[in-house]
Parts: sequence; C-alpha cells; structure tokens
Amino acid sequence: MEKFEPVIIAFVCNWCTYTAADLAGTSRLAYPTNIRLIRVMCTGMIDPQYVIKAFLEGADGVLISGCHPGDCHYMNGNYKARRRIKLLQAILPKFGIERTRLRLTWIGASDGIEFAEVMTRLNDQIIEMGPSQTRKSQAI
Amino acid sequence: MIVKIACEDNSPAKGLQQFFKQLLEMETIDALFLPVRLKASHSIMPSLVTDPERIADAVPLSPAFPINSARMVSRLSYKTSGRKTAVVLRPCEMRAFIELVKLKQGAKDELILIGMDCPKALTASDYTAYMKKDPLDDDAYIDAIFTKTSDTINGFDFSSACKTCDNPFPINTDISILLHGVDLSDGLMAESCSDMGSQVLERLKLPEATIPEKRDERMMQIKAAHSTANLSMIEQIGAKTDSIANLNTFFAQCINCYNCRNMCPVCYCKECVFNTDVFYHQPVQYHQWSEKKGLIKMPTDTVFYHLTRMAHMSHACVGCGQCSNACPSDINVFELFKSVAHTTQAAFDYQPGMNENNPPPLSVFHEREFEDIVGII
Repeated sequence: MEKFEPVIIAFVCNWCTYTAADLAGTSRLAYPTNIRLIRVMCTGMIDPQYVIKAFLEGADGVLISGCHPGDCHYMNGNYKARRRIKLLQAILPKFGIERTRLRLTWIGASDGIEFAEVMTRLNDQIIEMGPSQTRKSQAI
Repeated sequence: MIVKIACEDNSPAKGLQQFFKQLLEMETIDALFLPVRLKASHSIMPSLVTDPERIADAVPLSPAFPINSARMVSRLSYKTSGRKTAVVLRPCEMRAFIELVKLKQGAKDELILIGMDCPKALTASDYTAYMKKDPLDDDAYIDAIFTKTSDTINGFDFSSACKTCDNPFPINTDISILLHGVDLSDGLMAESCSDMGSQVLERLKLPEATIPEKRDERMMQIKAAHSTANLSMIEQIGAKTDSIANLNTFFAQCINCYNCRNMCPVCYCKECVFNTDVFYHQPVQYHQWSEKKGLIKMPTDTVFYHLTRMAHMSHACVGCGQCSNACPSDINVFELFKSVAHTTQAAFDYQPGMNENNPPPLSVFHEREFEDIVGII
C-alpha cells in the first residue's frame, strides 16, 4: 500500500506561530512537508467557514495556532479563536469529522523548536488516524 | 398579578379578542401586533392593527404559523417610532426576538410583550391542507389543544418543531396568557410578569384569579413528553447524517435557494457571506474545480453553506421549525439544525432567548476557559 501522506492545513498567526515557523526555518529545523501554513494576522480572524472549507476540500487535519493567552498582539483574538474551535469541535464530529482532526495550539514567537516538534507530532497523529472521509466522498 | 378574562358566549377566542380590543382602546397603547385572519384568503398572518374594530378578525391561537414574527417585530422596533405597540408572540417567537434584542436588531423600549401558552402549529403545507379539508372553528381548536390535549388535529400531526419544543410556555413577557390547566369554560387567565404588565392589567380592572394547581403538573407532563420526542428525533437524524456522504444524500434535493436562511429568525447578518462576491465565483473557477474533480454539482457549495450556517447560528436556534417550512424541496432542515443546536448550545451552556442578560456565546470570551481543547499531546 502506498504510504499515506496527509494534507494538513495550519492557520498560523503572524505574530507568534508564524514567527516561530520562521525561527524553525532559520534554525534549520525540519518539520513535515504535509503541513501547509496559511499566515493570518491573528487567529481571531479565522472564520469557522475557513475550517469547514478546508475539511470539505479534503484536508485530513486542520491546525489553528496563535499566541499564548495574554500575548495576543490584538489583545484577545486568540480567546475568540478558542471559542470558535470549541464550537466547531461540537459540530464537525456529528458528520464524522473526528474532533482530533481539528487542533488548537499556542506557540510563541521564540518557540522554534517547539513548533517543529508540535508539527511532527501532529503529522504522526493524523497519519495514525488515516485519511479523511472527504477524500473519497466529495461534498456536494 | 393574575386576572381572569371572562369569555363572552363561552368562547375563549372571543374572550381574547375582547381583551385585546380593550388593550388597543387604552390611550397608552397605539397599536397591536398579532395574527389576523385576512378576509381575502382566510389565511392567518401576523398584522399590525390600529383600528380596534379590526380585532374582530384576530386569531391569536391557531395552528397557522406562516412566519416567525420575531423578524417582523424587529422591523417594528429597531428604531424608535414614537408609538407604543403591544405584540402577541408564540414562545419561540419571543425567544427569537430576545436574541435579536441582544444583537441590537430590535428593542423592547416601545413594546409591551404579550406571550401565551403555545397553541402548537401545523407545518405550512399541512396547514394549507387542513384549511381546505375541514378546519375546526377557533374555539374548537383551543378546546382540542388545551382541554382535550389532543396529539393530532383532524388527522394532521403537529410539526416536529412543536412536538420537540423545549419551552412552549410564555417567557420574558410583560403579560402572559395562561391556558394550560385553566378551566376554559370559566374564562382565560392573564398574568403580569413586569411592572409595565401590572400597570396595564390594573387599568383593565379585571377580577383577580389564582393559578390553578393542575397547571404545573400539566406543564411538567408536556416538557417531559417533548424532551423524550426531542432526544429520539436527535438520535434518528444523527444516524441519517453521520458522514459527509450521508449529508450529501440528506441535502441532495437542495437547490441553494437560501429560503431556510431567509426565514430563520436568528440568522441575523445584514449581508450574508453567501450573497457576496466570495461565492460569486469566476467562470474559470468552476472549470478548474471540475477539471480537478471530474464533476462538480451546480449550484456548488451546498453542504458548505449548511455547515457554515450551523457554525453561525446554531447556538441561537430557538427551534421554531420555519427553516423546514420554507424549504421548497421538503428537506427536513429543522431536524438536522435542532440536533446540531442541541450540541452547540450544550457546549456553551447557552439557552437562546431564555435570559436577556446572557450574552450570545460567540460575542464574549473569558481568560480561563475551555483549556482542555488546547494543545497537542
């Protein structure tokens, strides 16, 4: 069987997690190429529909990652994101999209090593879960 | 205070009309908003009445539920009109209106909110058939619902929204009309639930009454029956829609008309994202999608639309069932949305429309909450 290479979409905030990814890069730390980063200014701007669209288009996992509580560049965007993830984790499992395919983490700007580690662990976990159902059955 | 509304000719329908007429004749009340039977078609539609004589056509208790009036009361109250309006709403309409007030799309300042024990409703299509067949007169209907406590009406089953309703009793009112457990042959009862409500009832100089003991018991029975029906409905719909493939089947007949959104009282956005350029794709976009996937159904984004709507409004869903009424393809939108609402409302411990002081869950946040959903082990 062909090795399962998941598609993981990561929405990362400009000020913390994206900067951490940058640091991981300049520090020459490798992390799985299955993870595709989408830089947003703040996790608070991620509308639930971005996440829904990603899953419907066949993403095997979605990660939202921003600043630690209290560190948000816009004061409270990450708290708003947390509520929206809570909401989506209530809705999506009803339709067979497992709760653990949608993850939320806080990774600070100086945590390059942590960024690479978290991405590796996330990738391993999604591989273990197997492909998302939306790869086979395209949503109408 | 609780007062008795005497019923002329032993007719609760006329008794209520008389009560509302007296309200409209009061100097402090300029207009009354309530369901009225239109002479041209015999259909019953929410209406804004200023002529007390026109109250003779009012039918506040009927199985007709063509629209969730919260939307209309929002139109009447989002800005000041300089007039005092008494609005008569079903419990689900009242709860939806309270949600709109929280979103600043309606205001209670110039309103007197009158609620009532819910007279239940037929689906829009069943109501049309019921009207053509052999409809009960207004009093016989009230008798069937509140005294005989019938589960069906002339062979028609009530809408699944009504059978699974969490709270079919007046809430957040100034004045509540009470019918459950009340001996209707002796008249109806009205209870004031605010200072303004008391002032109005005092002026009417009606005899005082006490709530009958059997009312509480009756309410408990109804709640228990509805809760059982609700849980079994959620289980059944859950089994039918447990994957994206099954969701495709469920929405196979959906034509993206967005009627369910247009008739939803709590779908509050002034401009919905699905009406914007975001979803007015370039022709080349459709071709690219089709080239990638081999086939795309058009109109596109059907399941995407419904899932997005769930994320946007399910926490505020009052379970009125108007989404199913509005569907031209007879998709049971209500049952799916109610089951999702059950989960999302539990996630935030939120009951829409029950308490005006509880902010919508996505409009607030706390520093320390939901910490269990953060992190990758």
